[in-house]
Amino acid sequence: MNLVELHNITYSYPRTAQPALRDLSLAIPQGQFCTVVGVNGAGKSTLCYLLAGFVPHFYHGELTGTAQVAGHDVAQTPLAEMAADVGLVFANPFNQITGARFSVREEVAFGLENMGIPRAEMLARTEEMLALTGLSDLAERSPYALSGGQQQRLAIASVLVMRPRLLVLDEPTSQLDPAGTQEIFALLAKLVRRGETAVVLVSHELEWIGQHADRVVVLDDGRILADGPPRAILASEMLPIPGTRYTQAARRARAEGLAPAQGELPVTLREAVAFFRQA
Amino acid sequence: MSSFTLYQPRDSGLHRLHPLTKLTLTLCGVATAVVLPGFWPNYLLFALFLLPLAAWGQIVCPLLRAVWPIWWPFVLSLFLVQGLFWPGGTPIVTLGPLSFKQEGVLFATAMAGRILVLIGSFLLLSLATRPDALMNALTARGLSHKLAYIILAAIQIVPRFQAKAETITAAQQSRGLETQGNLLRRARALLPLLGPLILSSLMDVEERAIALEARGFGRRTLRTSLILLSEQPWEKGVRALLLLATAVLILARTVLALR
Repeated sequence: MNLVELHNITYSYPRTAQPALRDLSLAIPQGQFCTVVGVNGAGKSTLCYLLAGFVPHFYHGELTGTAQVAGHDVAQTPLAEMAADVGLVFANPFNQITGARFSVREEVAFGLENMGIPRAEMLARTEEMLALTGLSDLAERSPYALSGGQQQRLAIASVLVMRPRLLVLDEPTSQLDPAGTQEIFALLAKLVRRGETAVVLVSHELEWIGQHADRVVVLDDGRILADGPPRAILASEMLPIPGTRYTQAARRARAEGLAPAQGELPVTLREAVAFFRQA
Repeated sequence: MSSFTLYQPRDSGLHRLHPLTKLTLTLCGVATAVVLPGFWPNYLLFALFLLPLAAWGQIVCPLLRAVWPIWWPFVLSLFLVQGLFWPGGTPIVTLGPLSFKQEGVLFATAMAGRILVLIGSFLLLSLATRPDALMNALTARGLSHKLAYIILAAIQIVPRFQAKAETITAAQQSRGLETQGNLLRRARALLPLLGPLILSSLMDVEERAIALEARGFGRRTLRTSLILLSEQPWEKGVRALLLLATAVLILARTVLALR
């Protein structure tokens, strides 16, 4: 059975005329690394909130269709129960810090405390997660004394430590500087290689997605416009997304007659090198 | 600008006491300060009880530095108001129509001592106890974890709130809002500062609520804790003794007052 099964989901936030998601169906198998792209207002964040149960339990509004995530019927499962199986990370690193813990280590352990995990196991899992996210040396620091990238790694560690079956990241690098962005993507690449958790990532970093994702879903106006492997989607001419830098450069070269008019456009850096060598 | 806490980390016996023991000390100190009569016992209490405890915790200087700026405005206003406006009484110094009365000065001295012990007790607790350890001890005794969260988050979030207010002030000033000058001008500048501050803080609250829920904050299961609170075997006895002594003192004062 798939980890995520969405069937004909239509959802409207309270007091809005237009639905944010329209007749959306999506299945994600265990362990898949699925990315979601689309313009602002396409419904990407709403999809994330639905996967984690905040739609409809936090935002209320009107939901039709069926949503099964990690074995839970989303509409019937309280948020507190969803939290154990679905981890959510969003853009603002600062607002994801609880504020009630005084060190990075305690911040990571916060979720486990709420779950009632015995202290010995909590310590072991916390240390493991600090090591995985590269925060071991900062464990005694105040969460507020970290850089944006470090805070975002802390946010990821804090939900991963709860061992969710699905990790949802809603534009986790959009408020970070280039160095912080790189830290997060390096960590995500490591997580994806481990393959223990299915990941849904919303991001505009198409070059990185082209290299690492199993799948790209394009959302537009609350609908799925396209869905497929990165190479098919990111090199496509039909979509409202620009494609990677490499695709754009190749397209330009082709338009100016510098490259052959036939053949696949490159999506990753390696493919681009091969493409231009050929041309 | 890390947090609002007064806590001073030290490796001392006082710091190692269970938070509840320190809280009991504080509350008993406060109750004693309120019921002790006369103008000198509170100063003795401060000198012979609070200061030695602070010395044990290696925080005498931080304690005095923290007490002073809170205490002196009380002292000043007490002496002025009670000294000058005590009805009748024996004048000590007379300056034109104003005269300092002996009874007022005595009363002000007694009150200042009382306030000294009140402030000192609370500051001693705050300086020697990690706020999260205290909240942990209290939630273990039945305090709501939501209330504990609010108290702890306030300690760390207030400084961020101030930083945000400064950013908004700078942003509005750069658009020509005048925030300095006479009272009227400052009052008029308040609205364009408060509006964005309140709205953006409300938006932060929504995100923080989501982050908390995503970490299982709403679960009704039994919680565990990473912080280990240690307790010496004799601490329960000390707490009981302190409570008993304070109760006896309050009872004695009540009986004396009734006679």
